[in-house]
Amino acid sequence: MGAWKGENELETTVKSKALQQFQEATETIVNPELKKWIEQGGKVVGYFCSYGPEEIITAAGMVPIRIRATGSTGTELADAYLSSINCSFCRHAFNMGLQGDYDFLEGLVWLNNCDHVRRIYDNWIRKVDTPFTQMMSLPKMTTDVQVEWFRDELKILKEALEKHLGITISDEKLWKAIKLHNQTRRLLRQLYELRKKDNPPITGAEALAVVVASTAMPREQFNDMLKELLEELSDAEGITDYRARLMIVAGILDDPAFIKVIEEQGGLVVTDSMCFGTRILWTDVNEGASDPLTALARYYIQDKPACPRMFDTQPQRSKFVRDMVKEFKVDGVIGERMIFCDLWTGENFMLGGDLKEEGIPFLKLDREYIMAGAGQLRTRAQAFLESMGR
Amino acid sequence: MTVKGLERFKQDRDALQFAVQGFEQSQSPERQLTVALVKAILDNYNRIIASAEEGKPFIANSYANAPELLAALNLPWYTLSQIPYLPTSEPYILDEIDEAERAGLGTDMCTLIRLGINNVEAGRVPLPTAFIGLLSLCDGTNMLHQAIAHNKDWHNIPVFCTDAPYLESERSIDFHADELRRMVSFLEEHTGRTLDVDRLREVIEESNKQYELWAEYNELRRAVPCPHSAAKGSQAWSVAQNYMVGDRRGTEWFRQLVDITEQRVSEGKGSIPNEKIRLFWFDIRAIWFPEVTEWLKAEWGVCIVMDMTGYAPYTLIDPSSEESMFKGLAKRNLCDVPMVRQVRGTADTLINDLMMVVKDYKIDCVVWPAHMGHKDGAASVGIMREVCRDLGVPFLQIGLDLFDKRYTSMDEIKDRISKFFTAMGLG
Repeated sequence: MGAWKGENELETTVKSKALQQFQEATETIVNPELKKWIEQGGKVVGYFCSYGPEEIITAAGMVPIRIRATGSTGTELADAYLSSINCSFCRHAFNMGLQGDYDFLEGLVWLNNCDHVRRIYDNWIRKVDTPFTQMMSLPKMTTDVQVEWFRDELKILKEALEKHLGITISDEKLWKAIKLHNQTRRLLRQLYELRKKDNPPITGAEALAVVVASTAMPREQFNDMLKELLEELSDAEGITDYRARLMIVAGILDDPAFIKVIEEQGGLVVTDSMCFGTRILWTDVNEGASDPLTALARYYIQDKPACPRMFDTQPQRSKFVRDMVKEFKVDGVIGERMIFCDLWTGENFMLGGDLKEEGIPFLKLDREYIMAGAGQLRTRAQAFLESMGR
Repeated sequence: MTVKGLERFKQDRDALQFAVQGFEQSQSPERQLTVALVKAILDNYNRIIASAEEGKPFIANSYANAPELLAALNLPWYTLSQIPYLPTSEPYILDEIDEAERAGLGTDMCTLIRLGINNVEAGRVPLPTAFIGLLSLCDGTNMLHQAIAHNKDWHNIPVFCTDAPYLESERSIDFHADELRRMVSFLEEHTGRTLDVDRLREVIEESNKQYELWAEYNELRRAVPCPHSAAKGSQAWSVAQNYMVGDRRGTEWFRQLVDITEQRVSEGKGSIPNEKIRLFWFDIRAIWFPEVTEWLKAEWGVCIVMDMTGYAPYTLIDPSSEESMFKGLAKRNLCDVPMVRQVRGTADTLINDLMMVVKDYKIDCVVWPAHMGHKDGAASVGIMREVCRDLGVPFLQIGLDLFDKRYTSMDEIKDRISKFFTAMGLG
């Protein structure tokens, strides 16, 4: 680790076209790859949460994209339906729906993941004309009983898509989709492996752009581009000029600029527990199972790193963070939360206690979806690094 | 024997005891019903205290977890959020909210949840034999129970949560009925009690009688003028779901309530002398409610005809078989219990309730208090406003904290309401 020379921008030393395309993809909803797909007559289905079963959408011959509110500048239309105590991601995303930014979608899938998002469904189906909409019932426990329940929910979604599109989604198509998405996960994990190095070849902001792009474009193209990037990074000179290695724990964080501000202070983000991060890539769907829907249900309910909404997973969630701290040689953890999110208030309260016991520095940061308080974030990040003696 | 967490319980019990002595002087039949309820709450406190001191099993519970099953198992229970919700908390509540904030629980998390977590962190609730969490309500409730399970003193206390499907269907009810069976197995394992199906039938039959009488009472509340303010509806909920579940004393309580109300309706007696505005308070009651309701009565002639806890169209349970009872309890849990019925699933039930109450109770205006913790409701405000517009009934959204009266001052609340009434030509 080199001595921190003051405020400057950490970035990879590699000049990569793929990385540039990923970064551009985070700056818009319809990126060039998605645009090409739509122009060729391809259909797109959105989903609202890391539990969105994108494999089923892929198996239906469409491109799944995770809903973001990138590019939104206001919530004027949404504010007529929502309140100021609703999270700003929901307000911006619904606003985009109302102003037609998501009119290109063939369908939209919700789960009752949180109190804010689930009510966007109620508003959306009344105010936005999306051809196919589906609400799925996501359990809040993770036993085998819930796996069975969620398998049926996946079957209901599959059948609804079949009916809507007039197609059959065979087991073969499901397995093909599962393999494709598993390949995305494996490639992303290879990227994370590189971040374990003492001198990681990529910053946290850049890595976030890659993960966001993985939810925003046709997966075949994404996988090819990521392979290219991994090749370029494999023997790249790593980043040495940082003060500390950080981990971000968060719900929805899709804006690399947020991490960039932290990294500008010298805190290199080397790993995370986020919805646009390890929560969607750390484990695979079991390709050796006999039934693809059961394999998917088990993945979403039991195998993937859990969201705080899953009641019986707090000890595992906490252990996951502590394990990552060791594996990635993390100096400090930042718990980021969208204002008005009760799930993440509770999570950071518990996690803060757990990390304190182990002497791991922890900083709680509240934020709005659109990054408005860069100055405050800079100050908090600086103070955090200083408190760690970095 | 000194048991951790009992000090505050005893303090609250003594405060209730003192209050009941005062109420007993009143000749009003309504007040006598309040006395009967407070005595039942006192009984519950005493059972918990005795169980804790004698090492007998008792449960910490949320609400809406089929209390009929706990009654049938003869297991005393207390509700985890009861401390901040009972009036006995009033002298402490603001200090305890500040304490929760200092403990790192933020300011935008539902205050009831913050208080619930903080009370456990501060050791103000007795450690139970086992506890049952609630997953059918809001994100805050989910985190309340997770944070309790995370607390060092509670870490080894067995916990069970029944999962609650989001959408309403037979499949959801069957799933939840199985969850209730698993809850019974859990309770049997950890308390040594056994569920006697015949005893469960007795409890359910008795609770059916209570719900029939409650429905009759709610019919009477449609009268103009309204015979009682919404406070009695909240009491009805406390009797049927919390303190006299499947208990003959509760049935008698409801019978007297119906008798008293029939008498009032036949005499044309309203809860206030000159009812001018019939208001639907579309949420639960605030801990500081008396201050506002007295003003509403005196200044504007407002009768709060209905609130969320009072409107509970409970369906009766078929007691003929074990299966029908579990299915009935599952349906009650998911689709009938106030707050859960409006909050758990899509906004459809919320809309239906709003429409039914406005029509059936001849409502002049709807007030959505917009409690800072009710995020799902906050995201339904546009829908509510449009429903009210279609019904031709004025709608007001305030923005307040049902537990912290500093969040929006009383003066501001009164000012908002006054301007609303004036603008809408009410009163």
